[in-house]
Amino acid sequence: MRTKPRLCCLVCACAAMLLVLQVGRTAAEESDAEQLKNEIEALKRQMKLLEEKIQKQERLIDKLAAEKGAPQKPAEAAAPAAVAPAGTAPAGAATEAVAPPAPEGESQQDKLASEVTERVMRNIRPSLAGANKTFPSQFNPAIGLIVDTAASYKENERANFEFRSAELGVSASVDPFARGYAILNGTNDGFEVEEAAIVTTSLPWNLTVKGGRFFADFGRLSKFHDHDLPFVNRPIVLDEYVGGESQADGVEVSWLAPTSQYLTLTLGAYNKMGADNDRADNDTPRNLTDFTYLGRAATFLNLSDANSVDLGASWAYTPKIPSEGGLNRQLVGVDLTYRYLPLSEAQYRGLIWGTEVLYNRENRIPPADETASSPDQIVVPGLERGPAPQFVRTSALGMPQEQEDPASAEEPTFQRHGAWGLYSYVEARLSRRLYPGFLFDFAQDIDPGVGDTRAYSPYLTLWMSEFQRLRFQYTYLDAPMNHESEFFLQWTIVLGSHVHGFRDR
Amino acid sequence: MRRWTRWLPLLLVLLWSPGARAGAKIKVVATIPDLADLSRQVGGDLVEVQSIATGVEDIHAVPMKPSFAVLLNKADLVVLMGLEAEHAFLPGLLEAARNPKIMRDAPGYIDCSVLLTPLEVPTRIDRSLGDQHPMGNPHYNLDPVALKDAARAIADGFSRNYPEHEDVFRKNLDAYLAKLDAAIARWKQEAAPLRGKKLVSYHPDMIYFADRFGMQAVGTIEIRAGVDPTPSHIAELEDMMRRDHVDVVVRELHYPAGLAATVAQATGAKLVELPAMVGGVPEAKDCISLIDYNLQAMLKAVQGSA
Repeated sequence: MRTKPRLCCLVCACAAMLLVLQVGRTAAEESDAEQLKNEIEALKRQMKLLEEKIQKQERLIDKLAAEKGAPQKPAEAAAPAAVAPAGTAPAGAATEAVAPPAPEGESQQDKLASEVTERVMRNIRPSLAGANKTFPSQFNPAIGLIVDTAASYKENERANFEFRSAELGVSASVDPFARGYAILNGTNDGFEVEEAAIVTTSLPWNLTVKGGRFFADFGRLSKFHDHDLPFVNRPIVLDEYVGGESQADGVEVSWLAPTSQYLTLTLGAYNKMGADNDRADNDTPRNLTDFTYLGRAATFLNLSDANSVDLGASWAYTPKIPSEGGLNRQLVGVDLTYRYLPLSEAQYRGLIWGTEVLYNRENRIPPADETASSPDQIVVPGLERGPAPQFVRTSALGMPQEQEDPASAEEPTFQRHGAWGLYSYVEARLSRRLYPGFLFDFAQDIDPGVGDTRAYSPYLTLWMSEFQRLRFQYTYLDAPMNHESEFFLQWTIVLGSHVHGFRDR
Repeated sequence: MRRWTRWLPLLLVLLWSPGARAGAKIKVVATIPDLADLSRQVGGDLVEVQSIATGVEDIHAVPMKPSFAVLLNKADLVVLMGLEAEHAFLPGLLEAARNPKIMRDAPGYIDCSVLLTPLEVPTRIDRSLGDQHPMGNPHYNLDPVALKDAARAIADGFSRNYPEHEDVFRKNLDAYLAKLDAAIARWKQEAAPLRGKKLVSYHPDMIYFADRFGMQAVGTIEIRAGVDPTPSHIAELEDMMRRDHVDVVVRELHYPAGLAATVAQATGAKLVELPAMVGGVPEAKDCISLIDYNLQAMLKAVQGSA
């Protein structure tokens, strides 16, 4: 019986407590809102003060800008002010033509200016220091990567996806006297240093010296990397006679004639020339007679603003090729490039006609019987027939030393042989994207008695942008023992640093 | 006698060398005719100025002719826009020119952008954003006030290399700036009808002009700088132009005519064909007449469309 009133009392007490708490919370909320309101008011006041301050500073900056625009020497200021029509000076420029302030105001303004400058500088100095901070990595060379890939179908060899190369290029100044660059190339055959060279930049008398591994200055397209060629494959004559890219370990001196006519002369000495030239190697020391020597002259004829011709003549001479009985070799080339590039439409219209004719002269061993395949066969770029030359070994002086195989003691019959070949292509620019072209190849075999090779290659280059390119090419190959149609789809991209070099023009 | 003749070729080379002609005029090579004009204004009779571009070219596609390397080989000073505007031809030509006096950042290498506050400095460098200029938009030669900065940079560069003539360069500079100021004042009044008008150009090279004369450059026909448009980009551009009531389509004269005209016709905007450099049209003989030509052509289009 007594539990009921006790329960009622408890309920009443709880309700009273809740009421008190609720009232307290409302009071607290009201007090918070009031505080917030006060803070907002304070902020508003601060903002207003800041606004006033900014406006004041802006007015001051305008004054100072006007003062800065006024020349230091009043006498000199008079002339420009006189030329400008009164009342027509624009906002940006007119401030510079405003007359200097009255002398009595100068000291006060100067004081004000120095105060403001000091304050502004104090504020921005940390940011300036941060912006100007240099890092050791800023000395890193410019880096670019070129990926070149292709899909091909050849009637006799069938289809393949060809990873042609991933080529890393780095370049930078060495010091005030030289610059350096390197092209590091990764292919299915491995990783190789395609070029790594030092080039002088400040020699007198228009001289430039290049040393290291680089593409020798022979002809025009021999100096282009594969992905830079205007078509998918290197012309046959360059592959067979030069050995692909004109890669060479050595030194080259080039001279620009100090005349109004562009004329350059180049002299070079190399271990060998040609990236795929296996007749000599870069590791074995040799006599001076075993190096390859080069001379080249190049000029340019500006027929009109839109029409021009590049002309060049190259001569590479190897006095003795040790692996081939110490025989000499001469390779001569003439290159001609005609360009039609209307100046106002150079990105969209144009035509290039490029031709190189090469003549190779050397004593060659006649090719062996087609059936006589043995490990003794020599490997010459583009050729895989002919007896091995090792029956004549040369001494360090290049003199015949011993007969390696007495069983085949008969002297090889060397035959003086000259061979020539050419490529000629024409390429049009129909728009910024579309570059159709046609390449014709012809090459006599550098061995006597082997047939000639011809190839006909229409192609179409589609530039997605300056850094991405698709190329379609059909080639009909007419070679001894090989007549086939070939189809190519090449896809090339450039990442990172990209320069328009004079060599690749 | 024989011994003497043996050295004759070397003697001839020495006599031909650029430094041999003392007292000759200062040889200045400017990359574009606009800078050639400014160089003549600042250098006066002391300089002999030649320009690589004739003015009708796209500055990003000036052919790299070996004859320009000869020009640069003999130059005492090279004057350029900077901001990588001449990326397509100048570095290669300087490499071929073999002239240490004007190599990049040598005293004779006069970059006219050093005093400029560039517009459109990218906040992110990425080729997906097109053929970017990391230091900012380089087409400031269409802004007369920016030309004043360029002229000052030229005067600084000339004075740095030839301090004995500094007074002459400064005097010539002041005279030219006054002339330019007078023209700027006139242009500002004339350009009043352009204020608030919207333009689309083929390439983002009208930004300085638009900014100076109160116009708004709201888009480009190129999908990104240096990248030709796709059909979907043109469709989107035309939609935007109709929606935002774009007044003018600018075709810089070195870009194809067809597409710009089609876009203008499809959207009801006026087509204006403008030179991007001095020499781009016969009337644009120097910097002042170039701005005059462009401004009048733009006014004609805008007032015609109103």
